[in-house]
Amino acid sequence: MTRWTRAALVAGALALVPLVPARGDEDVTRALATLKGVKKQGQGNEDAGPAWKALVSKGGAALMPTLEAFDEANPTANNWLRSAVDAIVQKEADAGRKPAADKLEAFVRDTKFAPSARFAAFELLLTQDATAKDRLLPGFLNDKSADLRRAAIARELDVIEKLARPTVRADLEKLFGFARDKDQVDLLAKKVTDNGGKVSVSEHFGFVTHAMLVGPFDSTGGKGFAVAYPPESAKEPTGAFKGKNDAEVKWIAASTSDKYAQFDLNKLLGKHKDAAAYALAVIVADKETPVEVRVTSITAVRIVLNGKELYAREEYHHGSPFDASVGKGTLKKGENVLVLKVCQNNQQEAWAQNWFFQMRVCDDTGGPLPLKQKTADGKLVPLGFIANPTEPKEEKK
Amino acid sequence: MNRYLLTVALAVGALASVPAAEWAQFKGPNATGVSTDKDLPLEWGKEKGLKWKAELPARGVSSPVVFGDKLYITCSSGNRDDRLHTLCFDANTGKKLWHRQLQATGSTAAHPKSCMAASTPVADETGVYALFNTGDLAAYDTDGTLRWYRSLVGDYPTITNQVGMAASPILVKDKLIVPMDNAGESFLAAVDVKYGKNVWKVERPRDINWVTPLTRTVGNVTEIIFDAPSGLAGYDSSTGEKRWASKLTRGSIPTATIDGNTLYAPVGGVSAIKLGDKGPEGEPTMKAKDVQPGMPSPLLYMGKLYAVNGQGVVSCADAKTGKTLYKERLKGAFSASPVAGDGKVYFLNETGSCSVLDATADTFEVLATNDLGGETLGTPAIAGGKLYIRSDKALYAIGK
Repeated sequence: MTRWTRAALVAGALALVPLVPARGDEDVTRALATLKGVKKQGQGNEDAGPAWKALVSKGGAALMPTLEAFDEANPTANNWLRSAVDAIVQKEADAGRKPAADKLEAFVRDTKFAPSARFAAFELLLTQDATAKDRLLPGFLNDKSADLRRAAIARELDVIEKLARPTVRADLEKLFGFARDKDQVDLLAKKVTDNGGKVSVSEHFGFVTHAMLVGPFDSTGGKGFAVAYPPESAKEPTGAFKGKNDAEVKWIAASTSDKYAQFDLNKLLGKHKDAAAYALAVIVADKETPVEVRVTSITAVRIVLNGKELYAREEYHHGSPFDASVGKGTLKKGENVLVLKVCQNNQQEAWAQNWFFQMRVCDDTGGPLPLKQKTADGKLVPLGFIANPTEPKEEKK
Repeated sequence: MNRYLLTVALAVGALASVPAAEWAQFKGPNATGVSTDKDLPLEWGKEKGLKWKAELPARGVSSPVVFGDKLYITCSSGNRDDRLHTLCFDANTGKKLWHRQLQATGSTAAHPKSCMAASTPVADETGVYALFNTGDLAAYDTDGTLRWYRSLVGDYPTITNQVGMAASPILVKDKLIVPMDNAGESFLAAVDVKYGKNVWKVERPRDINWVTPLTRTVGNVTEIIFDAPSGLAGYDSSTGEKRWASKLTRGSIPTATIDGNTLYAPVGGVSAIKLGDKGPEGEPTMKAKDVQPGMPSPLLYMGKLYAVNGQGVVSCADAKTGKTLYKERLKGAFSASPVAGDGKVYFLNETGSCSVLDATADTFEVLATNDLGGETLGTPAIAGGKLYIRSDKALYAIGK
């Protein structure tokens, strides 16, 4: 090849550059597509490993595309990406480079990106610009990212208390409305009360406080969990059924004044073992509404909305973390029948005698929705409504 | 001797004097808790006897593991305890080599004393395999490259244990053995170390179980011995075939220890169970009724059985006869299992105080008590002549 020919080829290649994507971009795009293509049980791992290496090898150029590729609907792929972010940042740091703060900030501000990616970017940003905290967090009080929201609320509370403005009560009440984590909700409710205000924790969480109950049904050996007794598909709380030991069981009206809307089934239905029970709540929506039904229970639960199962967890007496069971569904406009099945096993230990539930209907951040529930006498009241909030049990909580 | 031969001889001599740096899994070699290292540390403190100290980003109750010159450790953090950290340090200098994070894909419910970094990772010459209580399982190469990742809860959605999981994975040749006894879909699985896919997966009873599997060789079979509330079972590590089952033991928290074909299981104190080719043969051959493990696992070392319960009562018995040698109380509560080497037994309490007992004595001889402070629930590791202790905030390499 002559010198002239080589020069002509190089010139031609350079002329093509604007017409095709940069090779680096192509590699990043291809690697991200491979990582996002991983499936369950390790399917795609053969290709994902090399793709991860290829992505990380691009260094800083791959950081923002990697963050942008996060998709909360694919947590498996997200973790390939999450670890790649760490590796890219480390590679850049080893080379004495830092991620571009302006790009990170723009990314954190853009709510179209995945909350987990935005929080990762926020933390990266803080490593080089601590002032970003005060600049950005005020805008995240109602953020989809639970971590950004939590940080924003903590910072705002600090500001409110330091400034001690005349509007402190209103400021706290407003902040209470943004809180989602139980510890922050409780803390803010107390501070509102201490400042002479009043908020309803139960309404904020959207607890079901009025329900119809029926039981016990037989669940000897835990088998009742899989048996769909008639109330599981009930459209209304009517009728009598053959319960455990052939005893007739009927729906009974129940309500709770507990701040966290706990229904104690030992008190309401009796201390049964090897038993199943149902709670039915009628939830009224003004329009079709995507919801999360979140349940706290120390025993097995099944959540059914309008005849469709949303969630099931068969575990007994291993603790009752708040919101541990989450079913996702959509309320139709008008009345919706929400059925919760709760099962009790036959453990004999003193600590294994409880069965209870708390159930709430909320948005995907855990926040309140403008929904109503139907009381036993047909009245419509807000979710979380407690008829007699002065009952001692509320204070005990 | 010419210069070349002298150099080689010196190099070989130097290598021979360096203890093998391998404590690759929970409680070290086959979960015995015993190291063959010599010249292990006796006395240390916050300001003395430390080879190095490194900050950790978050809490964890898992143990550090060491393979070659790499030390790996896991932590978990966040308001929901949903950030899962794996870190690698230079075991000799404490330099942090890499830090990778995952987002929990399973439930983060656990007893408040535990956390999502409770299972101890397992390492080999190629890297580390980290299992978190959330069912997130990752393999990293020695340089921090993510070799593969699995969300076990994504794969098997009914997995649940609101007390929190803690059984640790082990390696058998080219298979990662993953114990996943829980209240939902329970299984024992072998995952290929290259791509993280199931080689075999066998159904298990739905029990919560914190026991780590052990191994032994029977003929040409490497057998996995797995204790659980439902009983003891032996599996062929190549196929997952259950070779035998026994109701002699019903483990749930502490892990037994094995010496040849004798299993020292935490049942009725600690009982010695002779294992034949088809599992336990007859009744226990020895019962050390006073050796009562609590959460920490029992230890067999220099012919003696040791245990400590949650309240700090240390018990020691002759491993052949079961005869109680002593039963004494150490200060504080205990979660970490005792480990031993160089004639010393290390008992680490939950607040950073480690008592060193003389393993050569038949009486309760405390050689030293060393205080680092902090919350120390994870079992220490011994490798390269050093003792590694992790607290909720820091990692300590103790020794020369």
